[in-house]
Amino acid sequence: MEKLSAKSDHIYLGEAIVKKALAVMIQHNLVKFQASERNNNVAEYTMIHHNVYCLIRYPKYLYMIKRIYGTSEEILLEILLNLGQASASNVIFHSANRLNEANDSEVLSPSALHQSFQRLAQDNFIIRCPKLAENATLLKVPTLEIEEKEKFAVPNVEIEPIARMLKEKATQLGGHCDSEIIWRVNHERFDIELRNVILVNAAARRVDTTAGELYHLILKLWRESSNPDSPVTTPVSYNVIKDAVRKNDSSPILLEHFDHYLRVLYEDSAGLIDRAGDAGGGQFNLDYSKVFENLACASLDSIVLERFGSKALRLFRLTRIQKFMEQDQMQNVAMIPAKEAKMFTYKLLEHNFLQIKELKKGTSNFAPVKSFILYHVELPQVVRTTLEASYKGLFNAMVRQMHDLTENQRLLEKHAMLESMLERLKGDGVPDEEIAELSDTMPPAEKSLVEKIHLMSDNLTLGQTQADETILILESYLKFKSKEL
Amino acid sequence: MGGRGRGRGNAVSFNIEQLGFGRGEAGPVSVTQPPPLFPSLENRPLPLIKDVENEYILVTQKDLSTRMRNSPFYLKPSENTSYEKELPVLWNRMPAELRETLPKRLATGNSKVTLNAKKKKVEDPDKIFAKLEKKERTESEVEEDGDGKEDEDDQDKSDDEKVEMEDDVVEDDDPEMDDETDYANNYFENGEAYLDDEDGQDDGEAQF
Repeated sequence: MEKLSAKSDHIYLGEAIVKKALAVMIQHNLVKFQASERNNNVAEYTMIHHNVYCLIRYPKYLYMIKRIYGTSEEILLEILLNLGQASASNVIFHSANRLNEANDSEVLSPSALHQSFQRLAQDNFIIRCPKLAENATLLKVPTLEIEEKEKFAVPNVEIEPIARMLKEKATQLGGHCDSEIIWRVNHERFDIELRNVILVNAAARRVDTTAGELYHLILKLWRESSNPDSPVTTPVSYNVIKDAVRKNDSSPILLEHFDHYLRVLYEDSAGLIDRAGDAGGGQFNLDYSKVFENLACASLDSIVLERFGSKALRLFRLTRIQKFMEQDQMQNVAMIPAKEAKMFTYKLLEHNFLQIKELKKGTSNFAPVKSFILYHVELPQVVRTTLEASYKGLFNAMVRQMHDLTENQRLLEKHAMLESMLERLKGDGVPDEEIAELSDTMPPAEKSLVEKIHLMSDNLTLGQTQADETILILESYLKFKSKEL
Repeated sequence: MGGRGRGRGNAVSFNIEQLGFGRGEAGPVSVTQPPPLFPSLENRPLPLIKDVENEYILVTQKDLSTRMRNSPFYLKPSENTSYEKELPVLWNRMPAELRETLPKRLATGNSKVTLNAKKKKVEDPDKIFAKLEKKERTESEVEEDGDGKEDEDDQDKSDDEKVEMEDDVVEDDDPEMDDETDYANNYFENGEAYLDDEDGQDDGEAQF
């Protein structure tokens, strides 16, 4: 929490820049403010860490929305992400503009976009920002408040002014009736959705795609009936699931073998479905902490496998499952020769995948004190270390990408300009020889360098996305573990 | 090193065999040069997953970052101070101190308070006339608009009104306030505590 004057002292950029930067960050939901306790005219600013981290997940959000709904919802969300906070009319207006640019025919009318907007709000992917309190305009630091029931209520949007502005090709929507009702992206809902995607993929990999479909349906049922904050979902009965499968347009295989799939899923050791009772043909629920513990362990296993090899993995899994083991016991049960076992044990210990517990066995005072050295895996600690390492990897990828792009900025800009010129000329119908001549102004060595830079930048982006998935699994495990305590 | 010949048992707390060397083998090799900058990579990591989803993510990420860079939200260190109209931020939801007009006025008003006091006498009559005129204009315009929403035409006048409120209100930034304490003011005590109860107040300072 810092005051504006404190910030200006720390950052020698100049007060105007600091103010602009703060305003932009507040607009994009990265920083929040409240009136300072001592002096009501001054605001104190806090950073919302989670939202800043979620910036990297924006493309994933768009992909999910595209898959669940379609293009118009995707464009609405993209516009909202670009603007940070905006009113419904504004978002609809800009989306219509963007769609018209993309296809030259006016495919979607504002009212269709309005319906898409309502769909997004109904499923809670977008949420209303708190509105200005009544006397807020008189205060130096406005207070913002919102009631629970208003959070997802879409106001009436007047379509005609929007349609009119679109026809006039205006770039800005002027004043409009719902300009005080501001929306933003609902990060928590997207987190839940990302987690569900991981679970459905796990089910699909464990059994097969039809099982994934079934699991997706069951997840929806759970979500409708349970409190999102609880670590265990409310049980759902067999008959309800069967009805949902029949109502939903599922594949015929699922309808036929629905029983079998359900049974396979709940007997599986991954804990994707737990059988909680027998009423109504069987009650099924999901224990998030158990599922995410299994997923986190699986992630750790694959990390150990890739870094140290399969023998080390055997030792790691053994120790994790057996809780406490001595060195000799480990090498006997894992059936690995002594020297190798010792080497791998030490390596795992060095990288903090194994922890040591010493138990003294002091008997007489004269004999040397013997102690048992027991190895164990303390899961929360190991997960936290791996999480830190993942953050570091993500950070490294981002820094490297930034470095590459800024170092070669001149070259990349030159290339981009050349490309756009060539496009334009091709569109105008200039003969091929001139185009070839123009493209020769850039030597092939430079072109291949540009290619290489793009390739590296792409790989780094992919690497960041994948690191983010691991981070999501590990963070979810820690979150549900702390909830159950 | 345990057991330097004191008493009978000069056994060490660990067993040599347990460490993994035999008796005859040498210890670890001595290091003769600084360690390499990065540890050597023993196992190559798995290749990146390139499926439909990740391709989409690549394209979207590039698209999003170019749009952000080209949008007015991307702040460049320019000297342009009239940003309120350009930046598409919802200003009526932000604290007033973030709006732009304050720094210009306070910058001149903050330092050299004494000079201002003298100058004010000369400026006052002109300022008062200007203020009155503007108030007449803004009052009539505010009635026309009907609500207090910011309109770009009214911006300058409403900013002036805010500045006038500023002049009347006590200054928020105390130039002597360092890190939210009044240390500078409290450092030299003004002697009022001299005749209070002196139990246990002796800090060890000698009293002559």
